[in-house]
Amino acid sequence: MSLNTKKYFIKETYHSIKRNQLMSFASISTVALSLLVLGLFLMMVINANNLAGYLESQVQITVYMEDSAKGNTLTSAEKALKEMPGVVKVSSVTKSQALENFKKRLGDQKDLLEALGTENPFPYSFDVQVDNPQRIAQIVPGIEKIPGVETAKFGREVVEHMFQLTRILRIGGLVLVIFLAVATLFIISNTIRITVFARRREVSIMKYVGATNWFIRWPFLLEGMFMGFTGAVIASVFLVQIYLTLQNKIYTTLAFFPLLGSWPFLGYLTLFLIISGTLIGAAGSSISLRKFLDV
Amino acid sequence: MLTMTGISKTYQSGATALRNIDIHIKPGEFVFVVGPSGAGKSTFIKLLFREIEPTTGKIFVDGVDVMSLKPNEIPYLRRQLGIIFQDYRLLNDRTVYENVAFAMEVIEAPMEKIKKRVPEVLELVGLRSRADNYPGELSGGEQQRVAIARAIVNDPLLVIADEPTGNLDPETSMEIMKIFSHINDNGTTIIMATHDKTMVDFMQKRVIAIEDGYIVRDDLKGVYGYEPEH
Repeated sequence: MSLNTKKYFIKETYHSIKRNQLMSFASISTVALSLLVLGLFLMMVINANNLAGYLESQVQITVYMEDSAKGNTLTSAEKALKEMPGVVKVSSVTKSQALENFKKRLGDQKDLLEALGTENPFPYSFDVQVDNPQRIAQIVPGIEKIPGVETAKFGREVVEHMFQLTRILRIGGLVLVIFLAVATLFIISNTIRITVFARRREVSIMKYVGATNWFIRWPFLLEGMFMGFTGAVIASVFLVQIYLTLQNKIYTTLAFFPLLGSWPFLGYLTLFLIISGTLIGAAGSSISLRKFLDV
Repeated sequence: MLTMTGISKTYQSGATALRNIDIHIKPGEFVFVVGPSGAGKSTFIKLLFREIEPTTGKIFVDGVDVMSLKPNEIPYLRRQLGIIFQDYRLLNDRTVYENVAFAMEVIEAPMEKIKKRVPEVLELVGLRSRADNYPGELSGGEQQRVAIARAIVNDPLLVIADEPTGNLDPETSMEIMKIFSHINDNGTTIIMATHDKTMVDFMQKRVIAIEDGYIVRDDLKGVYGYEPEH
């Protein structure tokens, strides 16, 4: 391809966008809107996924020891727990710590404890964290066989519900993102089809004077890529603004909510949108052009 | 220059437009193709630049078997042809100069060559002073001259014109025909489908008459031979 021809393509793309200003504006806005919706969804899905992972990691087993268990029994029980497959962390909670924790939770109502007198009803316990929460149900029976262990508890129903919820979040999110990406491709290819249709006369004249298909295709491809790129940049700007605003709101009201940090998350997200916007633009114009090149 | 042997064309609808056509046209000839509407003239013209394909038979343009060309070779066939339509088919958002230069740009001619050649052909069709006008600012005859300039700017071997004077008054048609005559004098072969009785009778060139898909006449110094339809 000669320099002359490259100049021609760029000139043609520029003129085409300028000539069809309104159309180009409409196309870019449509692309920006579609990608913004796609981006918002991705943002939600990725955060939901992150939240699911966070919640899963919070699941732990509480192992309550028998009241009679003391000294050596506790040490060997702790050792046995640490050796169980999948266990990553074991921390002990003594009877007095348990009482303290309970007092803290009661807050202003700690007077209630006076009814207990000097008795400490809390058992010695271990908090056990595992590498994969899916394992919990499997290893609990083993834990209960360790000498000195009274019982091992985990929120069985809570955990199972949560797994269900996170599975739905992940699969549903993926399906929705794919659906939106396809919808975006369809919208862009349709918009470009209108641009190509408006210029079908030009395309047919190009065919009559002996232009090759690739020669005809290039300016349209560039135009589609330009529209996809510009739309994606606009969508990204809005998306970043929206995320930062949301983040601010959440930090001030729901501080414990594990929202993903803006960097590098937003960087990857905008990069992804810009690359897919450009590719979708190119794919959209190729799809639309196929029909018009058969002259 | 052009040889057709055993050409037939039946459309998918079942309509037969051409039946067993044999034609040989020598380089430098000026040939009119005449006949009633729907006789097969347009089909004949469209076969030449492979807009459509024949059902049977072979077509050779300058020794090249047109039917054996792969789709990506068709553009190179068309670069040797200059095609002119009744409705001019100009780009209305480009100037006269740009419309003509367009035909050179799309075959990737160097810029210096375009700058030199376009004014030459505009001069030839008498539109040098109209270079910066848009088609909408020109008369029908002038628009057709732009189309002719575009068709010949790449020095085609063969100019194919489909009813080039169909939308023009007799006086303007005569001017257009003079330009074709001039191009033909420079050695370019011309094939023209027409309904223009006055012109055909005046020019005294080879006339091929097609009726109902058959060649019914082929005279070296022919006449139109039909009553004018309009």
